[in-house]
Amino acid sequence: MAHGTMAPVIQIEGLSKTYRNRRKTPVQAVKNLSLSVNGGEIFGFLGPNGAGKTTTIKMICGLVTADTGSVRINGRDTVDQRGAVMKDIGVVLEGTRNVYWRLSAWENLMYFGRLKGKTTGQLRERGERLLRDLEIWDRRKDPVRTFSRGMQQKVAIASALIADPPILLLDEPTLGLDVPSARMVRQWVARLAREEGKTVLLTTHQLQMAEELCDRVAIMQRGELLANAPVGKLLELSGDPHYRIRLEGELSGSQLAGFPGLEAEQENGTTILSGPIPTQAELFRVLEQVKATGLPLHSVRRTEVDLEEAFVRMLSEKD
Amino acid sequence: MRLALLAFYNETRKGMLLIWDYRFSMLTQVLMFGGVFLAITYMIGNGHFVAERMAPILVGYMVWSFASMALNDMSWNLMEETRTGTLEQMYMTPAPTGLIVLGRAFSRLLFAGTMVLILSVGIIAGFGLDLPLRWPALPVLVLTVAGVYGFGFIVAGATLVFKQVGTLAFIIQNSLLFLNGSFFPVDRFPPGLATFAKTLPTTQGIIVLRQVLVDRLALAEVWSDGTLILLVAHSAVFLVGGWTIFKWCENIARRQGSLGQY
Repeated sequence: MAHGTMAPVIQIEGLSKTYRNRRKTPVQAVKNLSLSVNGGEIFGFLGPNGAGKTTTIKMICGLVTADTGSVRINGRDTVDQRGAVMKDIGVVLEGTRNVYWRLSAWENLMYFGRLKGKTTGQLRERGERLLRDLEIWDRRKDPVRTFSRGMQQKVAIASALIADPPILLLDEPTLGLDVPSARMVRQWVARLAREEGKTVLLTTHQLQMAEELCDRVAIMQRGELLANAPVGKLLELSGDPHYRIRLEGELSGSQLAGFPGLEAEQENGTTILSGPIPTQAELFRVLEQVKATGLPLHSVRRTEVDLEEAFVRMLSEKD
Repeated sequence: MRLALLAFYNETRKGMLLIWDYRFSMLTQVLMFGGVFLAITYMIGNGHFVAERMAPILVGYMVWSFASMALNDMSWNLMEETRTGTLEQMYMTPAPTGLIVLGRAFSRLLFAGTMVLILSVGIIAGFGLDLPLRWPALPVLVLTVAGVYGFGFIVAGATLVFKQVGTLAFIIQNSLLFLNGSFFPVDRFPPGLATFAKTLPTTQGIIVLRQVLVDRLALAEVWSDGTLILLVAHSAVFLVGGWTIFKWCENIARRQGSLGQY
């Protein structure tokens, strides 16, 4: 993919944040995070719940004050030059409405556009285009509370984009959406980066979406950055190659013990051995051992690692 | 300056749109305020509406109604915006966030002012009260409102940090009704309670408003007897203090990440 330019537009340096829970116990949400996102890039933030993704996004947009470290957007510090930075970013946060459900879609767009310093006159054309693109133009005068969840999320994203910010921060943009709505949002996000050159930083639990959309992915766990690489590179880095070896017939317990590190499934007269085999030499050694069992070999297949598998492996290695 | 004006206009416009959407519940609220006023004055008049007693009570009651609506906005409505995530969106503006908060307050002020005026005119006309709406009352009202909003900023700041302050705000609202001299002049309170009552945000405003509207004193007179000076000082302390506390709470909310938590 690699659509981004080399110039970083988001630069995070040594960012840390510790919250205190009700018992005043410190909980470190983000630990010394440093990374940068290039212009025009779609950057995915992945991690389990509590990994620190949302806190990071909120620190980027100044809603949460970092304990240490800094965030620069287009070279400007988000604390010292907050006003200028806010013009450059549009944000959709997770788990909240983000827009006023009692106002119409159009009123929301105009309100959030003016909030970024644009006049109604400057916003009309873009507002119409956004609502037409998202197929809610015909219902622009209806209160958002009467919309479906998918339409409400579209209004939230359109509101984040109304002032045409070059950077878009999306926290779980497809959470709770049905399949067609999620697909539409995915396609739209891709188009924003490819056609309009927007830089998109998104968090998601949907790894398929990250694999499909993102140029680069960062994986976080318990506030720490585990990986930060292009998706393809991440798959390469995700550990030893995996193989799936299928035999005709079932192995005895003592025979199975001869394949340490591989998982065995025996069903309907077949045996499937699967797991990591780091080198070709090791693969041939395993096949020799298969031959020694006397069972006919049905197939040997290298299994492709997808982002989900890479993600799970990376998290389990860290544990 | 353009950005500031735009932010102010934007918040005011949004506030008015939202108020319009809630127009029936707002109308109910106004009717309730009117109903409570009539019930209390009826009781105070031992089963009669006594016009001479109603006029000073109306002045105090209207200031309280105003304060009540403002405090409601600064607690329940702010809490609702936190819950729905629109507060966090509101904070992502290039304009100073203080202006946004002031714009919100101004839209509520317009609404509350209109409601209080309609209610006052209705009661004055309905009962033939001798209570002229004199221009000198306007600066006194503005000063009183400034003090009310100063107090409102303290409530708003507490809402950002502690969240569940709606019930406390409700108790304060209703305590104010009986402690700020709306129904009984504070001079008739026991000394300790009278001193405490005079520190409340609306008490001094009601005292000066009554002097101007009921006793028909000129501004120069209330200035020279010191009551207006005390109101200026009182409101300035509440406004500056309230704003400072609000900004302080805002920083705490950003540090503890509670702008969007509820």
